[in-house]
Amino acid sequence: MIFLIEYNRRKGLIVSFEEFDDSNRLEAEKIRLDIELSLSRRGVDHEVVLLQAANQEALRRTHRRYFENPQELVRRRA
Amino acid sequence: MTGASLSKTQIDLLGDRLRQGSPIEPDLRMLDDYRRSFGPAYEFVVQLVRQQLALEPTGRPAKSTSAIVEKLHRETIRLSQVQDIAGCRIVVPDFPEQEKVVAALASAFPKSSVVDRRAAPTHGYRAVHVVVEALGRLVEIQVRTTLQHTWAEVSEKLSDVIDPAIKYGGGPDNIKDALKNGSTAVHSVENAHKVIAAVNARVQASDEGISEEAREVLADANTQLVAVRKQLDDALRKSVSTWVATEQRPQT
Repeated sequence: MIFLIEYNRRKGLIVSFEEFDDSNRLEAEKIRLDIELSLSRRGVDHEVVLLQAANQEALRRTHRRYFENPQELVRRRA
Repeated sequence: MTGASLSKTQIDLLGDRLRQGSPIEPDLRMLDDYRRSFGPAYEFVVQLVRQQLALEPTGRPAKSTSAIVEKLHRETIRLSQVQDIAGCRIVVPDFPEQEKVVAALASAFPKSSVVDRRAAPTHGYRAVHVVVEALGRLVEIQVRTTLQHTWAEVSEKLSDVIDPAIKYGGGPDNIKDALKNGSTAVHSVENAHKVIAAVNARVQASDEGISEEAREVLADANTQLVAVRKQLDDALRKSVSTWVATEQRPQT
């Protein structure tokens, strides 16, 4: 699965989250660029990232920072 | 023009322009072409890791525009030299498993270099990065233990919500100190694991059972492990205490 995340770093929160099949990577890349260009035009400093993982659970394990606040990251340490 | 057809000079000139200030749209599109040119190399590496090594990495086919631009602002590096445009991450349970995975990656990708940040961390960040050359592009594979990963996620999250300098060894002193202590504790916990794994392997290989000496080494290592795990917990808790206090303050 491919995951397209727009993330507000200052607030530490996900702004938008979209899933794509692996076969739709080109479409996901096009949308990523559209979002980045739109943010740039508006002067908005968000991170737009495309990640690929077996499923959302795997993504949440390897990229916890997008989904958890600092306290949760520390509390749920393995 | 596609990213694959950009010359090194064009890529580096693009990097110079991005470094200068607010990027203009044609440059953002050119940067997108360039980062997408890593797609085939990324696919090749991730497929091989999945199929030959039976590992399940989380991939990042291309770094975000903001991360590339920030890297160019932060460092003197040329855009064509950036090694982590494309990459993936593997999180493993512990140090012995990390050793095995890194060795398997180095063997699967003969044209690779191993950057070991465990004994000599960068601003507290400990991990092993295997940088693979494939199809004329570099792809970075991050291999982290669960503890190294937790520390890195906390450091990065605090950089997001408190101060971007934290990730690079800056920011408020209390957070900087707590993260530094946490990183040292991660190293100590993993050293204790290493000792325990080595003793257990020796005992298993021997027909004579566990010797008195091995028993003492194990007991010491386990005592040490309990102490450094507590240090790690304390350090991580302290590192986020500023954020927790801010969040709990009543809004006016």
